[in-house]
Amino acid sequence: MSRVIGELEELILLAVCILDGDGYGISVKNEVERHTGRTILLGAIHITLYRLQDKGLLESQLGGSTEKRGDRRKRLFRITPKGMEQLRASQEVRQKMWSLIPQLKPGL
Amino acid sequence: MSNVRKSLARRMAVTLIERRVGRAYVEEFLGDLDEMYEDRRSAKGKFVAEAMYWVDAVHLIVGFSSTAKKQHHTMFMGNMIKIAWRSAVRQKQFTILNLLGLTLGIATSLAIGLYVYDESTYDTFHANGDRIYRINQPMIWNNWNEQFSCTGPGVAEAIKADIPDFEELTRIMFIGEQLMRVNNNEEATHFTESKYFVAEDNFFKVFSFPFVKGDPATALKEANSMVITASTAKRYFGDADPMGKLIETKSAAGTYTPFTVTGVLADVPAKSHLQFDMLGSLPSVPEFKESRSTWIFTVFATYGMVNEGTDITALTKKLQAVPPKWAAQTTKGVFNQTFEQFTKGQPWTLYLQPLQDIYLAKSPDFNRFGPSGNPSFVMIFGAIGALVLALSSINFMNLSTARSSNRAKEVGVRKVLGSGKNTLVRQFIVESVLFVSVSTVAALLLVQVSLNTFNTVAEKQILLLPHLTNPYFFGILAVFILIVGLSAGSYPAFYLSAFKPAETLKGKLRAGFKGTGIRNGLVVLQFTVSIALIICTFFVQKQLSFASSVDVGISKDHVLQVHNIHQLGKGADVLKAKLQNNSVFSIVAKSGALPPNVWAGDRYRADGPDQAVVDLNYMRCDEHYLPLLQTEFIIGRNFDAGNAADKYHVIINEEAAKVLGYGSKETWKDDSPIGKHVVQSFGSEEKLKIIGVVKNFNFNSVKQRIGPLLIMHNENDKHWSYTAGFPSYLSMRLNSASIQNGEELQRIIDGVKGEVTKIDPAVTFQYSFMDEEFDNTFRDERKMSVILNLFTILAIVIACLGLFGLAAFSADQRKKELGIRKLHGASISQLVLLFSSEFTKLVALSIVLASPIAYLMTDYWLSNFAYRTPIDIWVFIAAGTTAMSIAIITVGFQSFSAANTNPVEVLRSE
Repeated sequence: MSRVIGELEELILLAVCILDGDGYGISVKNEVERHTGRTILLGAIHITLYRLQDKGLLESQLGGSTEKRGDRRKRLFRITPKGMEQLRASQEVRQKMWSLIPQLKPGL
Repeated sequence: MSNVRKSLARRMAVTLIERRVGRAYVEEFLGDLDEMYEDRRSAKGKFVAEAMYWVDAVHLIVGFSSTAKKQHHTMFMGNMIKIAWRSAVRQKQFTILNLLGLTLGIATSLAIGLYVYDESTYDTFHANGDRIYRINQPMIWNNWNEQFSCTGPGVAEAIKADIPDFEELTRIMFIGEQLMRVNNNEEATHFTESKYFVAEDNFFKVFSFPFVKGDPATALKEANSMVITASTAKRYFGDADPMGKLIETKSAAGTYTPFTVTGVLADVPAKSHLQFDMLGSLPSVPEFKESRSTWIFTVFATYGMVNEGTDITALTKKLQAVPPKWAAQTTKGVFNQTFEQFTKGQPWTLYLQPLQDIYLAKSPDFNRFGPSGNPSFVMIFGAIGALVLALSSINFMNLSTARSSNRAKEVGVRKVLGSGKNTLVRQFIVESVLFVSVSTVAALLLVQVSLNTFNTVAEKQILLLPHLTNPYFFGILAVFILIVGLSAGSYPAFYLSAFKPAETLKGKLRAGFKGTGIRNGLVVLQFTVSIALIICTFFVQKQLSFASSVDVGISKDHVLQVHNIHQLGKGADVLKAKLQNNSVFSIVAKSGALPPNVWAGDRYRADGPDQAVVDLNYMRCDEHYLPLLQTEFIIGRNFDAGNAADKYHVIINEEAAKVLGYGSKETWKDDSPIGKHVVQSFGSEEKLKIIGVVKNFNFNSVKQRIGPLLIMHNENDKHWSYTAGFPSYLSMRLNSASIQNGEELQRIIDGVKGEVTKIDPAVTFQYSFMDEEFDNTFRDERKMSVILNLFTILAIVIACLGLFGLAAFSADQRKKELGIRKLHGASISQLVLLFSSEFTKLVALSIVLASPIAYLMTDYWLSNFAYRTPIDIWVFIAAGTTAMSIAIITVGFQSFSAANTNPVEVLRSE
């Protein structure tokens, strides 16, 4: 995979995967915040979600509304095969790099 | 939940989002926002939820309007800059003219701005500066309508006794130039100090001049203690510790009094209205307490630091009760007059002048203890700066507007290709903002490079670099760039972008392009200003040369004057005798003052019952001084060295005879003032017999009318005054044959110096020439005239750049018209005339407008002078002709090339 994705992008992709079809603005935000412990503005999540969709890593459809939302529908995101591939690729890069750190080599 | 009405803030946010964010997103965004709002409200309360709703909403709006368009936008910026660059390069002439004019204008106004800022920010470094006031009084010696910055020592004491609103009241006393002596390693060194004052012990409680050594609270407590600045310490003691060392001051009687150095100050900042090198302690001058004259001994300045939160208006009102109560004692004791008689019924007002206003105040214009600014200069230069800036901005707008009509086709094509109006507007505005930015940067460089010259001319130490770290400075620059850029860009932007593309492409715009009215108006404005400036500059020059050629009534050329002769004591006579024998001097004389700087004065009246008290200036001199000045006696005679009684006699000038009530010379045949007596107004002193009346001569600058003058013999020891007995100056008239060149003159001066040193090596040798001193009274005006000349030239250059640009533009626009005219048989000269008349008409109109404006300004300025040059009509004609010829030359080049073009060239391409 030639294209590299940013850290927030990666975190959001992961959150969408975890939520497995239930990922929309707020749920993704909560998921990322829960795991990383940092606060992210809703806008940033939305911007990133759309960017990822433009890159073809996510796909979306409008779905289930609740009373709390004023009867407005959510946009539910789901990962595409290409997105999955991208996630694996970035993980591989990291793992490869981790394995090259001399301090972590056994015997040292 | 939907049945709960949303708050107004949330509804506004919703509306905003609906407007700003693409429709596809609105539903989910608002859904998310609402959901979060509910979550937050139950978790953290309504306020937080409401606030965060807005934060998120704004973030979404910003985020989505920017992600949606960002790339498109930056790409466009790049494109705009590229297009701006291309059109700039394509029309090199315009670009250069435009940038040059604007850069000159910005640089000029920037330099002036720095100057004005520098002048208006004096005395800002005192910790309690906002509570410090100088206490001024009326000019009690003559003009009670004017403010006087000096007060008697009694003022502070009276206020202290009566009014509790001052935390501190402090006084500083002027005692004139002093001769100092210091013994380092058994070797005496002498210094003449003109910046030596005496200050009260609480001086440093009021003013925060930082101490390097010593205790500010006690340094000036004891008699004969002294505080000096760091560089003075270096001058006197080198690198040795000055604390506790002795500096001796020489008294008029020739004895030395030792002062102990009790403190070292950091050098006084340049931007302070108090400038001193050394301060003595007030108890060292116990005479000042002499109670009789305590309200009229006006060699003090009084400063008060008011309590915090004092109402200044109320305090000023309270102060007015002080003089009538306390000054009466002085007027009675000294002048034998009641308070009302002394003030002639005018109020003895005490004014509170805020510290930071002192330097640049219009009144009082006199400050004994340091520099004082000239508010009219600051105003004139400020006005010129604003004008030049306005002129160059106008130029810029003019040229941009003219230039942009050439781009109507570009606009048309862009529109056809789908460019929106907004994009086009933005294109023009970006271009003009870019231009202004480039000029501003260039102007900053230009100012930095030329600041040295400017400082020399204006006698300032202005720096640009420190301002570059000031965010306000940048803020002002940015605002300026935006304002000029937007206003210059907006006209072409909105005008051109509103065209219908089909029409512009068909060429309709060319014929119908409006805006000439506005452009012509701007040209007229520019030339009006330039011509008015030319006329004013002319008159300033004319007045200056007129003033230096005014017959001052004495022969001021070839008079060498040696100062500080009083320091020689009796040695002065030895020196005089020596110099008298020197054949290069035709006459040598002693005097207590030198024209044009005769400032001393007192109150006199003619002897006899019911004579009015008048203010007379007085000067002391010996029997040789009036012949040296070559004054003319109308009646009577000069002092006679052979007549011992003459030293108690006096000579007056015509004006004095008039004010003393002796009439004018026509009546003197029967009843002359000779043999009559003048007495000082308080009557207790010696009668002064008049032995002669001299023709009026200017003993002050020719800016002033000649006042009444009383000339006393310098040896008159019955009449008290500062310079009695020991005149300060020795003047000598040089034989004109002996001064053929500068070297010769220098040799003569060195010779005199040698004689002075031979008598007393301690005396500081200082000399001057009388004609130069008269010239120096116009130093300020001369300085102003140099700067005014410079700015006038700049204004003309800028106006011409503009005119040239417009002519070039017009030539380009009308080349087809001119071609057709030529085809029909118009001659080149006809064409040139036709073409240039379009512009010369404008300049002619400007001349008509500028003349009355310039007349009023000149008339106002000349009203400062007693001797004024007439406002001649020929100056207006000359200025008009000059402006017209410059304009014709500027336009002429364009008109010739336009008229000379082969009509085929311009007509074939249609």
